[in-house]
Amino acid sequence: MFWRNNILAVLLLCCTWCLATSEEFHEALTFRPLQDGRLATRFTFTTLLRGAYPRDPSTLQEEDESQHYAIFPLALGQVLREYAVTELHLTLNAGKWDYDHWGYPDEPGVGTGAELWAWMGESAARSVDERWKGLRNALSGQFCASLGSLDEQRTTSPELTFRPEGSLPQWGTTHQLRHGTLPSEHVCTENLTPFLKLLPCKSLTGIASLLNPHRLFDADWHGLGVHVRYLENEGIEVRLSFQSVFDPVRYSNGRRDWSLRSVFDRVIDRSCPIAHSSEIRVAIPKEETAVAITPDSYTTHAGFVYFNVSNASKPLDISMSWPDEQKFEYATVSSAVPLTHVSVRRTLKGSSQSRGRLSVSITNHMPITIQTSYLESMPWLLQFYLHSLQIYSNGVSRDDLISIVSYIPSVPHVRPTLFQAILTLPPKSTLHLSMDVIKPFLRYTEHPPDAQRGWDLPPAVLVPLLHSNSSTLDPGLSNPPSGFEQLRLPRRMYTPVLLVDLATPDFSMPYNVIIMSCTLIALIFGMVFNLLTRKFTLIRVSPEPK
Amino acid sequence: MKAVLFLFALVCTLWQCVHAQIPSEQEQHVTSFFNSHGGSTSRHTNNWAVLVCSSRYWFNYRHMANALGMYRTVKRLGIPDSNIILMLADDTACNSRNKFPGCVYASAARDLDLYGDNIEVDYRGYEVTVENFIRVLTGRMDPSVPRSKRLLTDDRSNVFVYMTGHGGNEFLKFQDNEEISAFDIADAFEQMWQKKRYNEIFFMIDTCQANTMYSKFYSPNILATGSSELDENSYSHENDRDLGISVIDRFTHHILRFMEGVNKTSQATMQDLFNVYDYEKFMSHAGVRSDLFRRPLDQTYITDFFGGVSQAEVMSPPLSLSPSSNEGSEPENVPESELPVELDQSLDFTSWISSDTNATSGACTKARREHAECQGVGVDWTSSCSCRMGWE
Repeated sequence: MFWRNNILAVLLLCCTWCLATSEEFHEALTFRPLQDGRLATRFTFTTLLRGAYPRDPSTLQEEDESQHYAIFPLALGQVLREYAVTELHLTLNAGKWDYDHWGYPDEPGVGTGAELWAWMGESAARSVDERWKGLRNALSGQFCASLGSLDEQRTTSPELTFRPEGSLPQWGTTHQLRHGTLPSEHVCTENLTPFLKLLPCKSLTGIASLLNPHRLFDADWHGLGVHVRYLENEGIEVRLSFQSVFDPVRYSNGRRDWSLRSVFDRVIDRSCPIAHSSEIRVAIPKEETAVAITPDSYTTHAGFVYFNVSNASKPLDISMSWPDEQKFEYATVSSAVPLTHVSVRRTLKGSSQSRGRLSVSITNHMPITIQTSYLESMPWLLQFYLHSLQIYSNGVSRDDLISIVSYIPSVPHVRPTLFQAILTLPPKSTLHLSMDVIKPFLRYTEHPPDAQRGWDLPPAVLVPLLHSNSSTLDPGLSNPPSGFEQLRLPRRMYTPVLLVDLATPDFSMPYNVIIMSCTLIALIFGMVFNLLTRKFTLIRVSPEPK
Repeated sequence: MKAVLFLFALVCTLWQCVHAQIPSEQEQHVTSFFNSHGGSTSRHTNNWAVLVCSSRYWFNYRHMANALGMYRTVKRLGIPDSNIILMLADDTACNSRNKFPGCVYASAARDLDLYGDNIEVDYRGYEVTVENFIRVLTGRMDPSVPRSKRLLTDDRSNVFVYMTGHGGNEFLKFQDNEEISAFDIADAFEQMWQKKRYNEIFFMIDTCQANTMYSKFYSPNILATGSSELDENSYSHENDRDLGISVIDRFTHHILRFMEGVNKTSQATMQDLFNVYDYEKFMSHAGVRSDLFRRPLDQTYITDFFGGVSQAEVMSPPLSLSPSSNEGSEPENVPESELPVELDQSLDFTSWISSDTNATSGACTKARREHAECQGVGVDWTSSCSCRMGWE
């Protein structure tokens, strides 16, 4: 009797263990020394919830099945289930990513400020817009960012540019994209704190213990990202990333040697026991100067040096030095091979406060024709005059190089502009695109508290699509031209944000007007009342009794 | 059958009486500790703090430092992040003008970084508006506003409201753009009283002509203090030559210095705090308004408002909370306020008892105990639990 009961219990346990979702946590840190002496770092914390499935939006009316997570962050999981989100990408970046000197970033979302985009399935129970509102408010509370202000005046649906990075489940309903940007959002320690709380080991052990906010927010560029996607045969993956570009030449006196201690002011004392894999990768720079990497316990593969943090001796401090170099010399001429396929520059021209000219110049470094998609999602306060769009390539007007895919004009106070086009870039040439824009005169209450600063305009997004001799758009290129092999496949490229100066009123005017009118009315009323009602009469004052 | 039941009931009551009458030495020890100095006369069970810095721009660094100094103090004394609403109108620590990135200092000596590694700012930048402040106090918000931005107080909550910025006669400027008047705050507090959203409020304000801001309150159980009288300015304390601006205001600086001598088990009273006020140090007449406050100030503890401590009931038999205890022997549904404690001096047990009532659940309590046990491993099991504690 006793053994029978026990066997039943054991069998039940095995069944539930097999059926239950299993979770894996991987952490990685990648270092890439750049040509201008800087160091690009990227932390990646990936949690994979195997066997899990995003919530079907048609079940939003009913009670959700209970979710049990051991490693997967519960706070994020609850938000995703509540709003039935299939794919989510949130980035909070500060600084300007310099594509010309730093190449492509490891994570493509480098637009300055906050950027949130999500793919959600349609549902009759709760509309996508309603869930988008709930999602951005929930994330704003979770990450201490002002994402709640990504309302319909800043939200668009640019489906050509922001393709889903995972798979979208087949539920019979279509998925919709919602995208919003806040270019003026600051990033500081209060955004990093909840980010670390989503990790199983937090910032106590493992690679996450290197995340020192006093050093991270001193970097030349930094950005944190939360990416959730559904992978067809695997499950739901949450990838938390932190990228930054440090300048070791600034910290030391002119040398570009770096170590974990010099960059983060910390070393790794203990490895995270939950991590399935925990490794640090260092890219070996492709140049003739000798490079020394310590400690010696690494493996080399495909131009990278790999350290296994779990096995390495602790405290682990990795360092890279150039022993033959006395002082770092900045390159005086640009490198022979550009670091990206295209370069973009966007400016707002004009000195008037009523109109301007938006100008974009795209340079194609490749010897073949490239097509690129171009996205502008401009808030309503800068309206395009699309008829004034002009395209010049090498001084010649070429209207055939642009093919407008969609243009949703803005409606003041209601929705932003969405402009998506495909540009064809001839080999080794520069394309100049410009059009007139008009700046509005805002209502007195619509100005932000620091109105004299101006408004930040979201970055334009380009997705270069390389294609072989066929005319179809092939996102991959199997045989890149010589000299471009080391370039990775391009994903989205972001231009820097622009600052537009709108006419501001004199904010003290309402007070002045009220005071002036009240004074005048008081004076006039007093005078008129006296004139009408005051009467001078003689009064006899009797002499005082003695 | 009935006779058996009656006998059973009689035996039970007799057993209870017998056991209740003899207080063990354990209970006597704990009761005498809590009741020394007459015990706290407050009826509150949880503490909340609303800290507002209403000024923008780099040259108002000192207002940010004021609010962050108060934030650090209340966190140190036990109020967790989930019970603190921090509103900062501008980003100082990661401002491009800040020579010390990620740091905010309250003294020219730069001995203490107020921003630290673990901070949560609930309202920041353009979100710090009069409307949001009044919505936080009254609780009237859109349903989609997340929990961390709500003031989820009940009628047994003590709320500490701290405001700093530029102000004048019965108004406080928000972000150089709009202003809140003393009448607005008084009405908001009255709404809170009507909706039973507080037990007691301690209102502290550090601006120019601050005392005028609390002159219009009319709801009970409010204790208020301000930094300067009508027609008086409040002054800053010291400048930092490297940062180029003033880093702290006099009133807040002296209050924070007093608070550094207060810890979680301190018996210091509000009267001790108000005795620190000195015209020679502040260069302004700081005031106190206690006519609406029903308890005497020399019996009101500082930790009633600044700390996250509250009453504890002692149950017998006591259970050991040392890390080696087997979790299976502890019942999971013990209510939070009745956790029996052993006087283990190494464990700061007052923080265990701090009532984070909005996040209590059986799983949370269990997870917190597991955290203590697993601390040696460096793994945080509370990641599966959604409650947030001030100590990590």
